[in-house]
Amino acid sequence: MNISWDHFTAFAIPVLISWLLAIITVFTSKKRWLNNIFTLAGIVGFATFIVLLWISLDRPPMRTMGETRLWYTFFLSTIGFVMYVKWKYNWIKAFSLVVASVFIFINILKPEIHSKNLMPALQSIWFVPHVTAYILSYSFLSAAAIAAVILLWQYKKQRETTTLEAFTDNLVYVGFGLLMTGLLIGAIWAKEAWGHYWSWDPKETWAFITAAAYLIYIHVRLRESRPKKFTLWLIIFSFIFLMITWKGVAYLPSAQGSVHVYSE
Amino acid sequence: MNKNSGPWWKAPWSYKESFAVVGGLIASGIMLQLSIGNFDYEIIRYPVNIYLLILTLIIVAVLTLRHKSHLFQWLAAVPLSVANISGLLLYSIIMGLTMQAPANADGQSALGFDAVTRSWPFVIVFYFTLLNLSCVTARRLLNFHWRDYAFYLNHLGLLVLLYAGGFGAADLRRYVMHVEEGATEWRVYNEKDDVLELPLAIKLNDFYMEEYIPKLAIIDRRTGDAIPNGNPQMWQIDTTRTTANIAGWNIQLEKYIHEAVRKSDSTYQQIPMPGSCPAALVKVENNVAGFSQSGWICCGNFAQLYMTMQLNDTLSLVMTRPEPKLFRSDIEVYTPDEKTYQAQLEVNKPLRVGHWMIYQYSYDADAGKASAYSSFELVYDPWMTWVYVGIFMFLAGSIFLLWEGNKKARRKKA
Ligand code: HEM
Repeated sequence: MNISWDHFTAFAIPVLISWLLAIITVFTSKKRWLNNIFTLAGIVGFATFIVLLWISLDRPPMRTMGETRLWYTFFLSTIGFVMYVKWKYNWIKAFSLVVASVFIFINILKPEIHSKNLMPALQSIWFVPHVTAYILSYSFLSAAAIAAVILLWQYKKQRETTTLEAFTDNLVYVGFGLLMTGLLIGAIWAKEAWGHYWSWDPKETWAFITAAAYLIYIHVRLRESRPKKFTLWLIIFSFIFLMITWKGVAYLPSAQGSVHVYSE
Repeated sequence: MNKNSGPWWKAPWSYKESFAVVGGLIASGIMLQLSIGNFDYEIIRYPVNIYLLILTLIIVAVLTLRHKSHLFQWLAAVPLSVANISGLLLYSIIMGLTMQAPANADGQSALGFDAVTRSWPFVIVFYFTLLNLSCVTARRLLNFHWRDYAFYLNHLGLLVLLYAGGFGAADLRRYVMHVEEGATEWRVYNEKDDVLELPLAIKLNDFYMEEYIPKLAIIDRRTGDAIPNGNPQMWQIDTTRTTANIAGWNIQLEKYIHEAVRKSDSTYQQIPMPGSCPAALVKVENNVAGFSQSGWICCGNFAQLYMTMQLNDTLSLVMTRPEPKLFRSDIEVYTPDEKTYQAQLEVNKPLRVGHWMIYQYSYDADAGKASAYSSFELVYDPWMTWVYVGIFMFLAGSIFLLWEGNKKARRKKA
């Protein structure tokens, strides 16, 4: 059996359908097992394609952009599934499956991307876990920023907020754990590829700024029974730093010549 | 911040005193910076950094023995931690907004803003954070609980990482070495481009390289830009899907040779040798323009001419230069204790020899596959093992953190 990219659509369509059903049922049905089965069916189908492709290529499919996307899809859906089982947040399931599906769509709609080449520095087993941890971290920390805005608004209206406060803290903890995981994997990778684990490159500096800002929130909160307005603003500022690290660094004058800014 | 309304400087110290102290340290740092310039890491080179490390640990041990003192309580508590992290945050924002001078050049800014990691305020706050974090960790260890494992991994891991990274920065050395195929080399260049001799020698047995299959593009000969303008479409040559369309021009791939050499009659044949390069036989059609032609195109290299296909007055079909897929050096490393190490060095696959790491760095890009030399980066870092210990502890702590979430919140809920 020789699986190639020509068979991708045949695998992808059923996967997409079962994930669509998972997303619908996660919001419409109280039965968690139902959407879990749809999710798992998709994951298993997708994993089968990866394994068969791996066998027929006789090497792990990690060399091209398209191959890398296979792993994003796989890890996003799998970790999203585990996180949902653990935390029972509907949106995390929906979010991870939607993003996982987007990567599938890109691979279907732009097939020439299958052979988009990866420069040697990107050909590393750390690449995929690094990016996956960041994507998931962004989702939790965006949710935390939204929750902080809602809390600030409810403080103004003087509504009861205890559950949302605990939820917000949790989002920051999980999101920050993912952020540090992505960062440290990045450090290990940088050591292997470029010879140093941390070189205060602008992107690294902004990643440090972001981490420091969330650390301030986490530690300030240890001493408060409920967050002050200022503390909630810390989440929002930290999130702005996160966005600068992710998207903004390329536009900063200090970043000209950064090794992490790839122009496509 | 509840206890923060009390009078200034009355124990126990809280946020305002902590911020005042960190602010004071930054102010003294600024004065040092203005009077003597950047902090020079050379002064804490081995063995000074070892003495400093031992001294720091003694200070922490003495403080920990007197753990009931207000000083220790303050050094091990949240407010000072927040003040220190804020100090580091402030300086890293400055660093993130200011173009930083390279490590081998002196900064121009009087306040050290263009070389923040070498500026006194940053170095002082960094060191104070180390003391702070050491006391935090020590206090929790005095009151050891297995259930705090995530706390220990995070804080101890970060502590080990900051100690090894901070003190180790002074001992780190990076060099670049260029070795000709077949030759043995021990001379290297440092960051200032001085030539030095190392105790290590490297012999390059063979340099090997693979390239990706190149792309086809249509360029405007007057400008050299690929069309459509602004959104150039290139076709990644594909031997299974052999047709493509670029801006109305149909391209049919009839033959592709990855290692081709030109025959006398402007056709190509496969000959794997250093001077070979990719070539493709294509048929191009454009019904609107009434164009149909087939022919060879080739991207060319140092040994062979390129070949393009003229489509009309202005446009030509060309092949891009192939991108590197893999480059590998087969090397032997000789050390002063007369050991020999063999390795196939690739990007992302360095070789570790004692405190040295040897990286595949570059090659003669013009010659590509035929490069007669290979360049290596040699990094000397005796603190590296500890850095890895710190990173992996911290990594484990982070994974536990994302798994456990906020325990406090759940404890409250329960
Ligand atoms: C400059 C570095 C840091 C300092 C000075 C610091 C300081 C502190 C202090 C003083 C506490 C309170 C301990 C107690 O109440 O006994 C604490 C708790 C905590 N810190 Fe840090 N910390 C630092 C870095 C980190 C990092 C990198 C993380 C996460 C990855 C982290 C996560 C936590 C957590 C989760 C707690 C709560 C622990 C618990 O209640 O079990 N801290 N930290």
